[in-house]
Amino acid sequence: MTPVFKTIRIRPGTYRVQMDGKYETVYVTGPRRDRWAYWNGQVFRVNEGAADPGPGRTHRSEGSQSLAAPMPATVVKVLVAPGAPVRGGDTLVVLEAMKMELPIRATGDGTVKAVHCREGELVQPDSVLVELL
Amino acid sequence: MIKRLLIANRGEIALRVIGACRELGIESIAICSEPDRNARHALAADRAVAVGPAAPSESYLNAETILNVVRSSGADAVHPGYGFLSENADFAARCEQAGVVFVGPPASVIRQMGSKIQARHLMQAAGVPVVPGETPTGQSDDGVATALKRVGFPALVKAAAGGGGKGMRRVLSADDAAEAIRAARREALASFGDGTLYVERLLERPRHIEVQVFGDALGSIVHLFERDCSVQRRHQKVIEESPAPSIGPRLRDRLLSTAVRAANAAAYRNAGTVEFLVEQGAGSTDDGPFFFLEMNTRLQVEHPVTEQVTGRDLVLAQLLVASGQSLPWLQDQILARGHAIEARVYAEDPANDFLPQVGRVLLYREPTMPGVRIDSGIAEGDDVSVHYDPLLAKVIATAETRELALARIAAALRSYPILGIRTNVAFLLRVIESDSFRAGNVDTSFLDTQGAWLAQDETADIPGHVRAALRAHEDASGSPAVPDPWARSGSWRP
Repeated sequence: MTPVFKTIRIRPGTYRVQMDGKYETVYVTGPRRDRWAYWNGQVFRVNEGAADPGPGRTHRSEGSQSLAAPMPATVVKVLVAPGAPVRGGDTLVVLEAMKMELPIRATGDGTVKAVHCREGELVQPDSVLVELL
Repeated sequence: MIKRLLIANRGEIALRVIGACRELGIESIAICSEPDRNARHALAADRAVAVGPAAPSESYLNAETILNVVRSSGADAVHPGYGFLSENADFAARCEQAGVVFVGPPASVIRQMGSKIQARHLMQAAGVPVVPGETPTGQSDDGVATALKRVGFPALVKAAAGGGGKGMRRVLSADDAAEAIRAARREALASFGDGTLYVERLLERPRHIEVQVFGDALGSIVHLFERDCSVQRRHQKVIEESPAPSIGPRLRDRLLSTAVRAANAAAYRNAGTVEFLVEQGAGSTDDGPFFFLEMNTRLQVEHPVTEQVTGRDLVLAQLLVASGQSLPWLQDQILARGHAIEARVYAEDPANDFLPQVGRVLLYREPTMPGVRIDSGIAEGDDVSVHYDPLLAKVIATAETRELALARIAAALRSYPILGIRTNVAFLLRVIESDSFRAGNVDTSFLDTQGAWLAQDETADIPGHVRAALRAHEDASGSPAVPDPWARSGSWRP
């Protein structure tokens, strides 16, 4: 039998959901294309990037990968050059943001097709740093 | 007594100091960067002065501008908080020269303890054990690599001017040395403007136990017991507690008395912390060797756990002692009761290599329950920016026993919704509820070795009742004619 949920909104974004006589509090917020919910210490995210791809994603198409900056950051080290073979997990670029170094790693094996950043450069979210073939 | 205090910081620690000012009748002056004009700390102070753009180097780290604000506002004291200018000896010295009280130790002490090399020498002379290591006289990459070979592997290469894990790298073998030295040097230069490195032996599975100390201008020095901060990720503390679990009374006494000896050797004044690495004794919890790691010449992020178990207000004492008064307590008046634990809530994505997160806090509700203290610096609608530390809040739970304190902090984290930006709340819960942590003897390698499975993303399956709430929310905000309540920051009613 499908469980029946009775839902009461107790304030904007806050819901009491009754299931088997027991109440749970669930918090919901966010725009339709990126909805967030919280229950019992856990965060759930739905429709993330339905309208636009979120930052920091690896864009894959026809066997190639492009690695993008996940957030505004400074490029502190470029470790590869075009033509270099790389293996999944290899660090290609080191960024620095929020006082921490962030390694950008290859998501799979391949060859560096192009490098689109320079050491010392400030890069914006989603700007492509390295393309792999 | 201090009359008007400028707080050279932001976020939760600025709010903590502003609260203490209110209790003591001290006028508080906040500084803020341009985007922080409506931040909680800027709104909470009696006055707030914008000191520059978002970048810390142009605002919270800009000593010149901050000193100008001190002068123009007529402040007679500066509280640096932690981070930013708190361990900048030059800034403390310039305050002293301007006749303004720097709430912290004298500039000379900050300078001495800020240099890992000088601090080691001082501690060795005072009979405080230090980790085997050396500062290469040849500071070239090759010179540092040679020193690493002398110390032996595994080893650490660290920034001499460092702290908080920045400019520090593990070196497991000679093959890793070159890259580690370059990375440490880069971070050291970027974070501290000083690329001097030193090397030391990496202890096997040590625990990080530190002792809160406090000194006054009359030369009295007391300790306020220890904190265990072994749960660290890349040398950033994540969970801290007091007392340290599973250590025997002999080891505790040795740690406390050694910390007081170290603080005396440094002629320490105001609040400080002596950090030790404690090697796990073979079976015994009472006679393991321990080594001086460093001394933090400021209030620590994790000071609340000490306040909770001792019932002593460290910020209040900082302001009294900085005003020239004697310590408000004698050593034998300071007792520890029960157990306190703190978890640091960071804007980061544990499932994605703990990448710091930026974005807007869309929904934010702090838990209120007995025995739970939240020290936070954010509010619903705030933007978490790339410019500042990703620490959002500290959750501190206090109870009669460790077991009860763990249950209490877990309950608090289970009722602490922060949405719109990813945080480590679910990760903190998994750590606190893990068997290893509950057993109470994790070492500093715990998160490095077990962090991966603790960081797994478990949110793939959305439970039915959460889906029901999502559907209800869709109905409540779905019609295009109705404004999205998300855009209306909470005041909207159906």
